[in-house]
Amino acid sequence: MEETINDMNRQLMLDANAVAGVFQEIFGAEMTAAPTECVHCGAEGEVGTLLAFTQAPGIVLRCPSCENVMIRITQTPNAFYIDARGAVYLRLAR
Amino acid sequence: MRQPLDWQIASVKEIRPETAKVKTFTLSLPNWTAHLAGQHYDVRLTAEDGYQAQRSYSIASEPERQGEVDLTVERIEDGEVSAYMHDVLTEGDRIEVRGPIGGYFVWDSESPEPLLLIAGGSGVVPLMSMLRHRAAVGNTNPARLLYSSRAFDDIIYYDELEKLRGNGHGLDVFHTLTRKQPEGWKGYSRRIDDAMLKEVIKPLRQVPQVFICGPTLLVESAANTLVRLGLPPAQIRTERFGPSGTSTGG
Repeated sequence: MEETINDMNRQLMLDANAVAGVFQEIFGAEMTAAPTECVHCGAEGEVGTLLAFTQAPGIVLRCPSCENVMIRITQTPNAFYIDARGAVYLRLAR
Repeated sequence: MRQPLDWQIASVKEIRPETAKVKTFTLSLPNWTAHLAGQHYDVRLTAEDGYQAQRSYSIASEPERQGEVDLTVERIEDGEVSAYMHDVLTEGDRIEVRGPIGGYFVWDSESPEPLLLIAGGSGVVPLMSMLRHRAAVGNTNPARLLYSSRAFDDIIYYDELEKLRGNGHGLDVFHTLTRKQPEGWKGYSRRIDDAMLKEVIKPLRQVPQVFICGPTLLVESAANTLVRLGLPPAQIRTERFGPSGTSTGG
């Protein structure tokens, strides 16, 4: 989607390594080495490879191949809201 | 691996200037656990009114050092956390941290492959942890660091890198200075490009494991070049440092 690509500010782009602490807080596990897959283009890779935007009101993670939004995380004082509809799966080792 | 991540109160054991804008903070940790080279700690500041600011800083030290870690932090203009650490924090102060964090941008010293490290600016910090760890465990697989800085005085760890390079354990270090070079400078004097990367990787006979850390543009350009030169993308791990004021950097 053109507008999706146009609203990306590459100057503010990090990668999901920068939010590894938030992931660990949510899942109780190291997640940046966890495999995931993009709903939009099917690219597979580790969570750490996702493009991260942390200056928004929430955290936005995009696919490094097609830049589709994969995961959004919002934190309130009492809860995390996780919208992962752009990811086919997240694999957590047991 | 299930691993709860709790905040703990570290005390600042030592603060050392590295360059005009970069300092290393040695933190003593009550709940220290050995890190993996490449991991980071989150640092959290809380104001009296409850406002919190949190940033991630890479660990510079090797995991063999028990009970403490070095975080090397660049002072970012208007950076809420880095400016506080540089301007306010003194030895003996306490600071809230959690870690070690991260499992993607980490190097396993048992890995048999040669190591290719590419850094821009303070992106050298997690790579330094890898090189210190490599030296501590006596790993002698070929390793190369290509390190881009603006000027000679901006190079972090210059003397230690010279020492590590000189100790005959298979490490070579290449500097490039993109803005200003001292007289008689023998290193590179331009941004990292195809020709430079080709020269740096050429003597490596096996496909190396690659770690690239720095500003987004440097990371993307170096990674894309290496893929063009035939390296499998799966061998390349990247970590982007934000520009002024962003999460990892501020």
